[in-house]
Amino acid sequence: MTGSKKIRVLLAQFPLETHTKGMITVAGMLRDAGMEVVLLGNALPAVIARAAVQEDVDVVGISSYCGGELVLGEKLLALAREEGIRQEVAFILGGIFPPDNAVGLMKLGFAATFPPSAKAEEIVAGIKKALAAKSAG
Amino acid sequence: MTEGKTTRQILQEKETSDNSVPLYNPAALKKIKEDFDGWLKETVSTADRENWTATPHNILGSELPRELIYSPLSNPGFDYLGRLAFSGQEPYTRGLHPNMYRGRTFTMRQLSGAGAPEYINQRLKMLLEHGATGINLALDVATVQMFDSDEPEALGQVGTVGVPIDFTDDMAVIFKEIPIDKISASIVTHYPRNTAIVFPMYLVMAERRGVPWEKLAGSVQNDFIMENLVRGACEYISPKDSFRIQCDNIEFIRERVPRWNYVTLNGYNLREFGTSGITEMAVGLANGIATIEEMLRRGHDVDFVAARLAFFWSLGSDFFEEVARLRAVRRLWYRIMKHRFGAKNPRSMWMRCHVQTSGGSLTREEPMNNIVRSAYQALAAILGGCQSLHVDSYDEAYSVPSEEGSLVGLRTQQIIEAESQATQVVDPLGGSFYVEKLTNEIEEKILNELDEIEKRGGIVEVVADGWLHKKVAAYIEAQQKQLDEGQIKVVGRNYHRAADPKIPEIAVHHYDEATGQQMRDKLAALRQRRNKSQVIKTLEALKQACRGDGNVFAACVDCARADVTEGEMRRAFTDAMGTWSAPGYM
Repeated sequence: MTGSKKIRVLLAQFPLETHTKGMITVAGMLRDAGMEVVLLGNALPAVIARAAVQEDVDVVGISSYCGGELVLGEKLLALAREEGIRQEVAFILGGIFPPDNAVGLMKLGFAATFPPSAKAEEIVAGIKKALAAKSAG
Repeated sequence: MTEGKTTRQILQEKETSDNSVPLYNPAALKKIKEDFDGWLKETVSTADRENWTATPHNILGSELPRELIYSPLSNPGFDYLGRLAFSGQEPYTRGLHPNMYRGRTFTMRQLSGAGAPEYINQRLKMLLEHGATGINLALDVATVQMFDSDEPEALGQVGTVGVPIDFTDDMAVIFKEIPIDKISASIVTHYPRNTAIVFPMYLVMAERRGVPWEKLAGSVQNDFIMENLVRGACEYISPKDSFRIQCDNIEFIRERVPRWNYVTLNGYNLREFGTSGITEMAVGLANGIATIEEMLRRGHDVDFVAARLAFFWSLGSDFFEEVARLRAVRRLWYRIMKHRFGAKNPRSMWMRCHVQTSGGSLTREEPMNNIVRSAYQALAAILGGCQSLHVDSYDEAYSVPSEEGSLVGLRTQQIIEAESQATQVVDPLGGSFYVEKLTNEIEEKILNELDEIEKRGGIVEVVADGWLHKKVAAYIEAQQKQLDEGQIKVVGRNYHRAADPKIPEIAVHHYDEATGQQMRDKLAALRQRRNKSQVIKTLEALKQACRGDGNVFAACVDCARADVTEGEMRRAFTDAMGTWSAPGYM
């Protein structure tokens, strides 16, 4: 990531997610923070991984309210590996999930997770930190 | 719209006779005004005078300005008989029934939780054993979205947020040993298509148990706003098609399952998605009006259609606003049914409603505080005169309710009913200068927003063209800013936040991956054993109904009898009707 380039974020949800409030809210927050947001919406993990390649994004953000985040998160990261973007793209997830699943998601390789009450500044800082860690690593 | 007129215009024309009898005599009002002016000048501080009206900022609030104090001067023309009257009397402001909760307590209808059909059967029995008086069956996200458990999209989602139902047998497991001829069941099929697919499975289950459909009581949601606006999805049919299915469902259910509430106009999920309580109700009423217009066009009598129409509202934390909203919408629905549609049966004029406390108002931080929030909201629902209630669980911001969370919700209702004594007196806040003024203001604002929707071409049109999507997105963005900036105060989250908010040790529900495999195995066995030619035949008939004038619900009942799965029916709908690309939010 070069210093002057805007951070590009793909926002998506797993295919059957019914709630979109989180994704809309975060899209607004990230745009206000000067990031470019690609709003993919509901899609299969394979479609999300492919879109991340095509859109050449730095970050993939998943909004999840309905559960199943560990199963689907694992699938998404495996597909990202196949697409060759697992290392360079930061994967983050926000929404409603049991607290211990945040630990599970980090173990899977998510760079950050956010609860539903996360503030704009927390999400923006979390993304920047994750990207800094990527470029350092 | 009747001859192109909006509801507001029709009401203005029809509500002309002025038999109003003002409650306050002019001499008293004059004296009160003099006293008020003196009090304002001499007793009230300059600061209070300058800040006489304050605008509350609240999660999902309406930002209706409030005065420092209310008096007869707030509502000088107050007409008791015209605007309030007694409970069970037109215009039903004070309640639908003369004795309200003394006659029949509100139905305690807690959502059923999440997991496999066998587990949910146990959970339903647990809630009934603990005194729940109705069933509220939540479907898992795959079932809500009309996917079979073995479709690729359903990976990781089977048994989340509710129970999976793929075909009629699953319904039989869920309701095993539950007296469906005695207990009313709300089957939370949000969407018209979902209702057309899943509710027939309930009916066929009853048929197989030998319970006549005439004995079944309960409700479905069947609301196209949910399908086309509130729902995130990877695939939609058009609002016009959804609305048609909504009306097909009503037609069939009204004729064949007479005690069933065939439409529950769902303001709740729309508001929780992101609108004020005013928009929530304006949209619900606009959908109700459009539905009745369509049924009249199909040749039905207004009373045939309206008598079992119900609403579902979200109640948040602005206590008096919420009480006033229920009173306001009850009066307004009466006025619409009476004057716009000329309903004769009192039941058709009743705004019957189920209330759920506001999930969006609950916090992840210090979750026990949520018990307090939900209890106040539940009390507002009772003081507002709801018919049925679900109280959200304290662990809502973590996962679907745990068994304990669900039980605390039920206990909250029972404490209000048996200990608070709030149910002894009908409409206890009626006559409050403040509540009556707020009720009037809210009624007027709902009517204004309804007018705007109608002027834009009606409810189907404002969903189809994306106007409502954008209105919701703008509201969400504004709310978020107010939360971030601290204008909206939420205790424990952004106000009096603990220095280091610890994640509490509460037992939250975890998704059980075994459910998915169990459901997939069941489906594999079904696909082997069922009569394939019947499956093909009934699915073809469903597509025909979708393309032509046949009733799609009737065709789905035949599918359910042939053990057609949910996903197969969904694809028949999209094959025949085509898909719709939803308008953006931005």
